[in-house]
Order: sequence, then structure tokens, then C-alpha cells
Amino acid sequence: MTREDDRTLTDALLAARQAGRLCVLATVVETKGSTPRKVGARMLVDPATGLVGTVGGGCGEAEVIESAHRVLGSGVPERVRVDLTDDLLSWSPAVCGGIMDVFVELIRNE
Amino acid sequence: MTLPAAEAAKLMMSVTEAGGATVVALVVDSPYKDYTGKRLAIVESTPGAQLNIHGGLGSEALDKKVSELMWDALQDPRSHDGLRRVETDAGTLELYLEVKRAVQELIVVGAGHIAQPMAHLGALLGFKVTVLDDRPDFATRERFPEAERLVAADFSNPFADITIHSRSHLLLVTRGHKYDYECLIRALKMDPPPAYIGMIGSRRRVRATYVQLLDEGIGHDLIDRIHAPVGLNIGAETPEEIAVAVAAELVMLRRGGTGLALKDVERIAERFFKEDEGEGQT
Repeated sequence: MTREDDRTLTDALLAARQAGRLCVLATVVETKGSTPRKVGARMLVDPATGLVGTVGGGCGEAEVIESAHRVLGSGVPERVRVDLTDDLLSWSPAVCGGIMDVFVELIRNE
Repeated sequence: MTLPAAEAAKLMMSVTEAGGATVVALVVDSPYKDYTGKRLAIVESTPGAQLNIHGGLGSEALDKKVSELMWDALQDPRSHDGLRRVETDAGTLELYLEVKRAVQELIVVGAGHIAQPMAHLGALLGFKVTVLDDRPDFATRERFPEAERLVAADFSNPFADITIHSRSHLLLVTRGHKYDYECLIRALKMDPPPAYIGMIGSRRRVRATYVQLLDEGIGHDLIDRIHAPVGLNIGAETPEEIAVAVAAELVMLRRGGTGLALKDVERIAERFFKEDEGEGQT
């Protein structure tokens, strides 16, 4: 993440905290092979403002957003494995040939 | 008591901005379920300073064990952010460790054609970018949207208003070699010395500059520190290409690369798919 990305995400986290809003933070904690985002990439799912940042877009990100909704309801953190190795030789832009582990946690902000 | 994610993010930004370093640990899997999601941060406010600890993971013993792991990661310039395992009495605990080191600065002296793509690339590479010129209508927000600081300065004393430290990377690309030279002399005499001094110029121009430096009593050891002609040899011609060559040099110095084409370093075809030349011959 660039400094600009870091700042945008930090500002969004602080704004949610200030407002006392529940939101969900997704962090790429491990990657294997070629993945759209690297370790440390973050995405904040804030029900009031939407998504800030990205963990790679496409189907993989959709899985993470799905998990974020579950975590928002349950409060129990999840670890989502996004597998992009389906078909290395297909030229689909979503196929990068890697695996990405994303930690999805509730940010309580009480 | 844990460290909230927002506080951890804020801590990382403010500490590294001020020249310090932090490591944040986040429990991503734990035999004690209520530990998952907890954070611990260690802060080294200046190199060598005593560590401050923020937050906690659930038990004092665990904090102690993990902070040692974090300290090791901070000490190792090649450590990678990612997962670490720690054994506890109840089983294996998994942590995500993230190291953030002091922010590196790029100071582009001269706000001309090379400065624009350079400021852009510098920001992309994570540098805090400053653009400095004696013409305020050149160092403008419109021309340098990614620069964090725009400084109007007199080239006779160009660094009067900014602090240069060992994390500063100076690129001298003013509109005249006379100005580059004045800035260069000052840069070479800085204590502590900046991390990088690059100066634009052709072979002939650089030679003339070095003759002048030697005449002024600047020693070879200092002259050796100047990156001029600037950048890696990629055949750059346009301002954008020159900025790429400089950016590549900055990455090479940061990561310890060779600057060679990976194709020639790895020689995959030659090493793994070598044709058997002796086949069919007697």
C-alpha cells in the first residue's frame, strides 16, 4: 500500500471510531504465488460509507465482502482463503495463479 | 487491554512519519478464542531508543514472548510481513506481524520536466515527496498533486526551510547546472549525510562538476557518494524515462538489487531447457 492508501484507510478507521460505528476490516495476511494484492493490503467495510481500499477486486473480493457481512452479524473473526489458481492457462483477469489468506475482523468502536 | 485497529493504524503513520519504526502484531488464530483480533504494538521512536509497548494480546507472558519476536523482525532488514506461529500451553497461536519503518523522503530540487514524473513515481514508491524551486509558479499544487510539501527556496541556501536527515534522498534537477552545483556542495557538507544524492547531467557535465569539487577541496570519498549521471542505464531519453531510471535506482538501493535484467541473472532457458548439442553426433 502506498502512503496515500495508508492514510485513506487510517482516516476511514478513525472516522468510524469517532462515530462509534461497527465496521469490518479485512487484511491480506498471507499470499502464495501471484496475487493481485500483497500482504498488508487492507479493505474497510463500513456499512455507512461502503468500501475503502481493496484486497484485489473480482470474485476474490466478493468472497471477502460476503465474509465481512457474516462477521458484522456474528462478531466472530474469519479467515478467508481466496484461491486464484483455478485455471492458470485461462486468460481471465481474475486468475492470477495464487492463493491469498485474508483475516476479516469486526471493529467494535464502542 | 488490546490496541484498537484505528489506534494501531494511527500509531504506525505518526511514528514512521517522525522517523521512528513500529511493529504491530495481530492474533489471527488462537486456542484461546477471545485472543483472536487482539493487537500489540512496539514503537522505537528513534533508532536505538527504548521501546514503548502499546496494547496487549491477552496475557503478560504472551506479550513478552511476542514482543521478542517483533523485536527480531524489526532488527532484520529483510524480514517479511506475514504470519508467525507461537507455541502456548494450550496450543499454537498464529500472529500477523507488520513492520513499518521510518518514512523515506524524496526531495526533488527543481520543479521542471523531470520533477513532475519523479514526484509521481516517488509517491508511488512510498516516499514522502518534497518539491523545491525558487520559482513559486513552478512548484505548484496543480503541477505536483502527489507532493506532500512544496517549498519556495533560494538556491543560494536551498535547504534553509527543510530538515535533511539520513532518510532524505536528494535529486538535483534544477533549471541550471550552476544551481545544481550550489545545492550539491551544500548536500555534500550535510551532517548527518542524506541517504542519496543524485544529480542530473551528461558525462561531460558531471566530469566538469567533479573537477570543480576537487578544486574546492572536496575529497574523493564524498564525490563517490554522488549518483551522477543519475539513474540506472536503461537508455532513458525523455523526462518520464529519466524519472523511471532514477526510480529504479532508488528501489535497487532500497532492496539491494543488482540493476541487471532478471532474464540474464536467472537464465531460465539456458539452465533448465538447454538443448543437447551433442545429440545425433558421434
